[in-house]
Amino acid sequence: MNNGETKGRIHVESDLMRESLVSSALNAASEKGNIRRMAPDVHFIAIGGQSIMDRGSEALFPLVDEIVRLKEKYKIVLGVGGGARIRHTYAIGRDLGLPVGGLARIMGGVEEQNRDMLQFLLAPHGGITFVKDHFQDLPMFLNGGLIPVCIGQPPYHIWEPPPEKGFLPENGSDVGLFLMAELMGAASMIYIKDVDGIHTDDPYKNEAATLIPELTVENMKSRSLPDSPFEEELLNCLETSRLVREVRLINGLEPEQLGRALAGEDVGSKLMGSKSRTLD
Amino acid sequence: MSNNTKGKISTPGMENPFSGMTNASMLSGEEQYDDNTVKILPDVWILKIGGQSIMDRGKSAVYPIVEELLQAKKQGIKFILGVGGGTRARHAYAMGLDIGMPTGALAKIGASIPIQNGRMLQMLMAHEGAIMAYHDDFEKLPLYLNTGCLPIMSGMPPFEFWEKSPMVGRIPQNRTDAGVYLLSEFFGAKGIIYIKDEDGLYTADPKKDPDATLIENANAKDLLASGQDDLIIERVVLEYMQRARHTHEIRIVNGMKKGQLLSALQGEDVGSVIKAK
Repeated sequence: MNNGETKGRIHVESDLMRESLVSSALNAASEKGNIRRMAPDVHFIAIGGQSIMDRGSEALFPLVDEIVRLKEKYKIVLGVGGGARIRHTYAIGRDLGLPVGGLARIMGGVEEQNRDMLQFLLAPHGGITFVKDHFQDLPMFLNGGLIPVCIGQPPYHIWEPPPEKGFLPENGSDVGLFLMAELMGAASMIYIKDVDGIHTDDPYKNEAATLIPELTVENMKSRSLPDSPFEEELLNCLETSRLVREVRLINGLEPEQLGRALAGEDVGSKLMGSKSRTLD
Repeated sequence: MSNNTKGKISTPGMENPFSGMTNASMLSGEEQYDDNTVKILPDVWILKIGGQSIMDRGKSAVYPIVEELLQAKKQGIKFILGVGGGTRARHAYAMGLDIGMPTGALAKIGASIPIQNGRMLQMLMAHEGAIMAYHDDFEKLPLYLNTGCLPIMSGMPPFEFWEKSPMVGRIPQNRTDAGVYLLSEFFGAKGIIYIKDEDGLYTADPKKDPDATLIENANAKDLLASGQDDLIIERVVLEYMQRARHTHEIRIVNGMKKGQLLSALQGEDVGSVIKAK
């Protein structure tokens, strides 16, 4: 490798040497090229905090049974959200005047509790806690027939960027697990909540609400659905992702939906990025 | 509030303005809170030493800045020092792009270089109390500062595998400028100063374009709208500034000009400033 000296800087030769990484032209040039997938046969499954976990055994036992059955056939990583205790954390934190990074720093604790509860239930069947520092051990866990359970929230902590609106962190468990799936080039990203999918209105408030089986992010934003089951920022992530271009939302209160989703059937709702991007 | 509470585990006292709300609707629960957020470390400066602009020049650039930093510390000025990556980070990104890595993987490998640079600076200033503060150590920063230490942090935010794919290309958008900016915003810091090898923001890269001129009073909104190909600061910083609660301006000083950094820390208007709007 040639070391060259330019204007007093000692450089290592590379395509990006002396280039400003801020340059729009340079960023555009980095669009090309295939991206390789780290875990193309792994399914990421998000289990809602408020929608599933907070229902306790009534919702969890049947769902866990189904997951145990399906893990014989599929490689699965589970992520959990926080639920009611996250909302309580936000309420106290906001009242105290904590900045957004402060809220992001403390909310993970609640998801860790839920992760540990889910791992507790799955332990006899190979459930293990899956933490940030062991991400690169994923192949070992899956080849050993284990079911890794992680928290959804991304580890932005005090670095949580200021949100576009309001004071709450934009990057919650929906976003975090999606980013993991995108990084891994996962086979699918499935969200399990307590609704059959994305509806025209909140199905728990409006009996006339109907299921929308398939829609793009643009469709979803233009419809301005009154009570979206997803974090707003997840929609933005779907627009810029490269490997995982769609997610599915299914109902965990009907656990057989999971098997159908893993088999690639059209169950629940499919939400897709609006624009096509280079795929591998 | 949703009626969808049947079958949910409930405990008295858990009810709050966000109870039962979906993630997307929680914004409406915020109305009852006021807009003020506390400042965590309001008397502390956040400084950033550039990787390519300063560290990669070696001692000719680094020694005088180290001397000025220690002088500031002796004057009782409190600061946390963030560090950039530079040319080795660029080499790693070039390799990572070549072998087909996604953005999150690039962000993870990019994170190692600022730590190398931070450790170099820590060795140079250890005799005056320099200490490495890693991402998980930040709750100990008050201890470090109050015992006369000089905390050095990697500029990279801890996003790593969770760095989002950008709208264009694959290069991680939150790098060391963004990481130290977000620190400053979280701390409600006294101010943030980027130590680079230029007097500030130019109309183009002054190392390549002899006609480039210094923009003395820039604002983030106009800069982003200008479509200028190259900027002295990461674009996401300009976006974050516009939604920030505390850090609404950033200063860039030329570390190659002796005394500029110290003057800026003493409140003088040197280098150049970018304001939010």
